[in-house]
Amino acid sequence: MKLCTRQICFILLAYTAVSRMILYPTLLSAACGRDLLFPALIDFFVQGVIIWAVAFLCSKTDKTLFELLEGALGNIVARIVYGLFAAFFFLTAIIPLFEQKLYVHAIFYDTIPSLLVFVPFFFFSVYAGTKGFKNIGRSADICLPVFILAMLFIFVMALVEVKWDNFLPILKTPIKKVFGGSLSTLYRFSEPCWLLMFMGHFKYKKWDAAKITLSYAGGAVITLFMLFVFYGIYGELAMSRQFAISKISLFFPAIELLGRIDLIALYILEIAMLFALVLNIQLTVHCVKKCTGYTDKNVISFIVNAALLIILVVCDSKFHSIHTVYEKWMWIVFVIFANVMPLLAWALPRRKKR
Amino acid sequence: MIKRSDKLVKKLAIVVYWAIMIILLGLFFSNDFGLVDIRKTSIIVAVGVDVEDGEVQVTAQLAVPQPSENGEGIQYTQVQGSGFTVADALNEINAKTGYYPKLLFCKLILIGEDCQKEELFKVLSCFYRRNYSELTALVAMCEGKASDMLAKTASLKSETTEAIRQVLSDELKKSANVSSVNLKDIAESGFSVSKACYMPYIEANKQGTSESGGGDAIGGDSQSGGGSSGGSSGESSGGGGGQGGSGGSGGGQSGGGSGSGGDEPLEFTARRTAIFSDGKFKGILDETQSFALDILVNEIRLAVLPFNYEDTDYTLGLKNTDGGVKLKVKDGKPTLTVSFKAKAQVQGAKVDITPKEVSQDDVVPTEVLKTAEKAVEERFENLLKTCRETDCDILEIKNLLHKYNYKYYDAFKDDILTRMEVKYEIEIESMN
Repeated sequence: MKLCTRQICFILLAYTAVSRMILYPTLLSAACGRDLLFPALIDFFVQGVIIWAVAFLCSKTDKTLFELLEGALGNIVARIVYGLFAAFFFLTAIIPLFEQKLYVHAIFYDTIPSLLVFVPFFFFSVYAGTKGFKNIGRSADICLPVFILAMLFIFVMALVEVKWDNFLPILKTPIKKVFGGSLSTLYRFSEPCWLLMFMGHFKYKKWDAAKITLSYAGGAVITLFMLFVFYGIYGELAMSRQFAISKISLFFPAIELLGRIDLIALYILEIAMLFALVLNIQLTVHCVKKCTGYTDKNVISFIVNAALLIILVVCDSKFHSIHTVYEKWMWIVFVIFANVMPLLAWALPRRKKR
Repeated sequence: MIKRSDKLVKKLAIVVYWAIMIILLGLFFSNDFGLVDIRKTSIIVAVGVDVEDGEVQVTAQLAVPQPSENGEGIQYTQVQGSGFTVADALNEINAKTGYYPKLLFCKLILIGEDCQKEELFKVLSCFYRRNYSELTALVAMCEGKASDMLAKTASLKSETTEAIRQVLSDELKKSANVSSVNLKDIAESGFSVSKACYMPYIEANKQGTSESGGGDAIGGDSQSGGGSSGGSSGESSGGGGGQGGSGGSGGGQSGGGSGSGGDEPLEFTARRTAIFSDGKFKGILDETQSFALDILVNEIRLAVLPFNYEDTDYTLGLKNTDGGVKLKVKDGKPTLTVSFKAKAQVQGAKVDITPKEVSQDDVVPTEVLKTAEKAVEERFENLLKTCRETDCDILEIKNLLHKYNYKYYDAFKDDILTRMEVKYEIEIESMN
């Protein structure tokens, strides 16, 4: 087996949270104001149920999704489905990539916000894309302690400025807006698909479904806490504050004396952010490989990353437009791939677990 | 055959990969790592904003890092730019200094008295633009023109900005001597349902006196509008700063080192507070009103309360304070409870005292405490009276209504300040 349950738990705990720390809080603040926790709760709850369903499905079979599809519907259909998943993961990677670029420019290279500064990311990405599930698991082993350490540091610095009454009065936002906020940010929830891809690549043991679901819940709790801290600090201003994770510790009194010591934690956290970002690219490569049957991952990874780089270069100044499209329409794609497809996987005939 | 083509593609991919890597690395390194030559840059540490004839004048105090072998690490200089917006004015500063100024290191925003006529957030809006500046920068209004104030010579610090920041410090805030606020505080209260905010009002006094330093150092009485010279310090270029500065940093800079414009060192104070409602200037709270505001909204370590009891002047030190306002609506009637608790210690009294009596003086007599409570209540009353008269909700009572009594919000939001009943719960106990 390439992965172990611990690594999957780490992925769902750390990557779930770390991939929602840049613009997600700002977008939710803009959509729902002080009730921003509720759309996030709705999304996390729904995805949590799907995650549990997929994790439970893993207990029923030791086959991969491709093998299940191939066994039930034939090789061609399995390849088509994986082709669709490849497109899905590719689309999923685009917004976080833009976000990461903006974040790196704004926080680490504010005097030289040039595209070239971010381009070296693709060296890492091409290399990571060539690696398989074993590598994904080991990366998660490294990322979790890094993530926990950095988050503790940042949260401790941030908590002093939180005003609890910024959330009052509770639930006065129209319910339509709350669900609107939930749908418009749904394109960030691809975790059930990650688990679907991991299926058959790890040995299921008793209680693993609970462990995996709880890990995802842990990631959700950290994200919700992040939203809470962010809005607790900025209140009505939250919707205009981008790059939330880099803004919440600014009011820590020691920063006045010592300078931006929070940047140390942000640099450390960047490691986990990059691995989380690259996971979707790794899964794209995996799905393309399965779809085409072409085994050289170097070439596939190179092509996938080249395509992403082209999008990044061509649409460098069009992030807002791309983002608007994602907010308005991508929830449909995500409902299909991240919610319906994992449930449909239950309908596939599966060999009973040995 | 297939294997051969596979091998070829693999080889080709590696070649292409390395070729692209080399090209990108070449491009990356041609940028000199994007490093900034410290001798060719400058950092804005403070800005002064004035409005004149609808035009915004921004005076930036720049810290120019110097090579360490020169002795002093940083030299300060002032550059002025003007335009329709703050950003426009900053662009002019860019043209003069040859360095595009970002405000990430700007720690102080000083607003000139002329800005009282303008809508506050029109003046400040630039600073709230996404990632343009950090919201931790302190904001204050000053008497006269901000450019003049920044050009004055400080007595306590070699650098005016530092001297002004010192009177806005957190320590002073915790002693109820200044109502320091930063950009975030102002926006938070200004954009809340209360739509009111406040900021310290900086005054310059001649050293060792409480006499206003006014525009003495600048050539023009700042109290009467900041001086008609429109310029700043003597040799500095002031409004027209940098005339002829065709991009060269020297030509555009004014003032040279700190305090070059001042003849006489001045002391800065910020014990009064400028208040705003709906972005409009509403007046200035005096020292006692500012004190009342501070002990209600800030966390206080030690506040000093002077008052008179039976023709004797007392100064009490108030510690372990706990103040605040609460709004409750009972039977359709809103009641504001202003509460304040503190432990008191006599810090000074105009009485003859022997060393023996000093030890007994630790226990503050009940009558003195009652008078102190009365004095604090008077200050609260005075503050609330000003709030009502100016319709300026700086205690954020509408916010309390909105957050804690939401169902009454629509009914009371327009006249809550006049409609509410006020109860005072003031309790000052002797420390020993």
